[in-house]
Amino acid sequence: MQSKKILKILRPIIEIFYAFFSIFILIFLLLYLSDANFSLAFKGFVNSSIGGRNNAYLFSTLSKMALISGMAIAALVAFRGGLFNIGGEGQLVVGGFACAFTGLLVSDFGFIGILISIISGMLAGATWAILSGFLTVYMGVPLLVGSLLLNYPARFITSYLVSHPFRDVQSGLPQTFLLSKNVWLPYFPNTRLDLGILIIFFVYVICLIIFYYTKHGYHSKNMGHSLSYVKLSGLPTKKIVFKTLALSGAIAGIVGSIAVLGIHHRFTDGMLVQPLYAWTGIIAALLVNLNLWFVPLAGFFFAAIYTGAAGMERIAQVPKEIATVIQAVIILFVVGKLGSLTNLSSSKGDKDD
Amino acid sequence: MKISLRDITIDYDNLRAIDDLSLEFHEGEIHALVGENGAGKSSLMSVLYGLNLNYSGKILFNEKEIIWSSPKDAIQHGIGMVHQHFMLIDELSVLENIILGYEPDDALGFINFAKIQTGIKALLKLYDINMNLGELVTNLSVAQKQMVEIIKLLFRNAKVLILDEPTAVLTPNETEMFFKTLRNFKLEKKIIILITHKIDEVMSISDHVSILRNGKLINSSKLKQTTKKNIEEQIVGKKLPKLNLRRGIIEEKKILEVNSLRLSTRFSHSQPIDLFIKQGEILGIAGVSGNGQNELIESILGVRKVLSGSIEYLQEDITHKSTRYRRIKGISFIPQDRRKDGLAIKSKVWENVITINLSDQKFSIGPFVKKKSIKNYANQLINEYSIKVDNPNSSVLTMSGGNMQKLVVARELSNNFPLIIIENPTWGIDVGSIAFIHQKILDIKAKGAAILLVSNELDEIEVLADSAVVMYEGKISKRITKDTKFRENIASKMLSGVHFTENING
Repeated sequence: MQSKKILKILRPIIEIFYAFFSIFILIFLLLYLSDANFSLAFKGFVNSSIGGRNNAYLFSTLSKMALISGMAIAALVAFRGGLFNIGGEGQLVVGGFACAFTGLLVSDFGFIGILISIISGMLAGATWAILSGFLTVYMGVPLLVGSLLLNYPARFITSYLVSHPFRDVQSGLPQTFLLSKNVWLPYFPNTRLDLGILIIFFVYVICLIIFYYTKHGYHSKNMGHSLSYVKLSGLPTKKIVFKTLALSGAIAGIVGSIAVLGIHHRFTDGMLVQPLYAWTGIIAALLVNLNLWFVPLAGFFFAAIYTGAAGMERIAQVPKEIATVIQAVIILFVVGKLGSLTNLSSSKGDKDD
Repeated sequence: MKISLRDITIDYDNLRAIDDLSLEFHEGEIHALVGENGAGKSSLMSVLYGLNLNYSGKILFNEKEIIWSSPKDAIQHGIGMVHQHFMLIDELSVLENIILGYEPDDALGFINFAKIQTGIKALLKLYDINMNLGELVTNLSVAQKQMVEIIKLLFRNAKVLILDEPTAVLTPNETEMFFKTLRNFKLEKKIIILITHKIDEVMSISDHVSILRNGKLINSSKLKQTTKKNIEEQIVGKKLPKLNLRRGIIEEKKILEVNSLRLSTRFSHSQPIDLFIKQGEILGIAGVSGNGQNELIESILGVRKVLSGSIEYLQEDITHKSTRYRRIKGISFIPQDRRKDGLAIKSKVWENVITINLSDQKFSIGPFVKKKSIKNYANQLINEYSIKVDNPNSSVLTMSGGNMQKLVVARELSNNFPLIIIENPTWGIDVGSIAFIHQKILDIKAKGAAILLVSNELDEIEVLADSAVVMYEGKISKRITKDTKFRENIASKMLSGVHFTENING
């Protein structure tokens, strides 16, 4: 009995250790293939994910973490209600553009301008998500398909808008004019880290409250676990669907706004799509098994992996492709490991009916 | 051949599911395994067929210890299990289903269907089973599907057949046929382990009976050495309370009226349905599942569109109202499939006790839920319905089927609504819970509720209903009122479709 219990506790630890061991072996092989200096590569990885002069790199990781965590929360909000909204990307892009556009108009209002810009980003993101909900509820398009396909119009419409009507022609790139400093998100004192991470933290807390203390949270969780139960109980499923999607889209819109107001200070075509924020967010949400509490951890993990791999490339001259593969190896192993652990723990209760 | 389970103990997190249990199964015997839900029958069997490898104790085949590495391993050693939920592929033929996952291919990977077919036909002949191997599974009756599952095991040379509640889905007639086949297996020296709730079946077919309670073996003996009453008491652990049949008064007021309602069903000849339920009355709808009962219920609840006709509830035409409207107006519903329709089983217990009434001042202020009072309310239901669960924070998944059902019943009956729709409320649960739920239904009726009780258990209809109709292929029979020949009258209408149609027309 006693030894079994100890084994039970030890097993996941051994498994995680084994996972890390496998990761190192694979990375070792990859680095060997690319003829890189191991210690330099390792140093580059660690230094540029959590180090740097004056912690500069740590701050860039944190700023990425804010965006990834935000997108993870957006995905999680929908997934928890059983709504597979994978259109976070479209909602993010639309939100970002709306914010940049509004930001140009309200640049004289300072703090209020920031607020208005973010709100318009939220509204745009929410609208885009509601649109996919509309397709699902009234047209019978599966949400998975509808939300995914709406990513493309979002990308290309904004791409057109910044290439033609609203283009800053002087800059030579398909992008909007630079925002006035009045509406930039302020930085933390003496750093290059903007306050966006605080806004995401605020969103995080609000979502925790919604999840665990509100009627909407109560109903949407049950809807995620059994749609037919909720439907047969006479709950307003459509309303819950639209509310949940609107919340999810609005959060994506906020993330887009933070990227615009805090980092880029304008909207450039592809700037929110290329770094795969939305998709990384989805993976992060799945990694923590849709447990909101752990989202910041997952967000930090992914951000660190990305900045770390970039540093490896820069410092140890590891080819970009290999750095990307290494990044994928780490993610695959960690997702696979944690995924199997959480699956095990959730199937334990399923017995004897 | 003999199989022994020695000193088996299974621990889940902080629950001992099986406690130092030893049992023996002999060839040529039908061994009935009975006990309440959560008594440990399934846990014990999952050890025997290799699904649960996390136990202490020994499995012995003819006194030789065997350790499984997987269910596949167990099947190769001749142990097969038929689950309550069939694992068949509807779009494939019977033959294809039988060999699926066990295809005897030749060196080049081709399957010689003709040869296999002859082999299976010989098997069918040996056990006197009637089955068209070329038929698509989707066209089979439930009883036939079950038989396909069994043939699957025979084809894999199973010497031990573990059958989990095999008769839950069969009509009385089909059950008789099924038992005949089981007796043939006995002659061929198979070991048959029958997990069941129905004591009558244990009495009529088994040779040996073992009773489990709370993970312990209460008694294991030859059937001859025990009695029905003994078994029942050993299952529950105490004497079963007698039902209090206080019936209350049936008022003249009609709570629900269904007028020439045409359901959208798969039956081409469905006829318009008329029925009514008065205040304080239980109307039983008898018949084998899948004859349109579900469609009728869904139409009354508003989740399925009707073709024509009307549904009146408390003199109000609700034919085109939403489910939400109907539920708020006071229709309770206890579905058959508690795991899918009755509960969000991955949610916690307290998250399952409130549905449309969440906006009550008692349970929420503005957008916020009053967690504490919902949990108190959950505790109240747990006590009132003696639901076995750690606390309201436990996941519903940790509960046994009987307790899940009690939770659904508790939630739906506590609203004190005028109309309650109940669908097979005691499907697959233990005798103790059955008696308990029956009593609760009778109590709420005595308080003046109108109840529509759909059940394919004749016993249930007989005990609970004031009058009954039989449903067959989307049609509904004349009302049968409760008299001395209540049961016989219902049974005769259930017997066969031909008989049934004659009755309707004549």
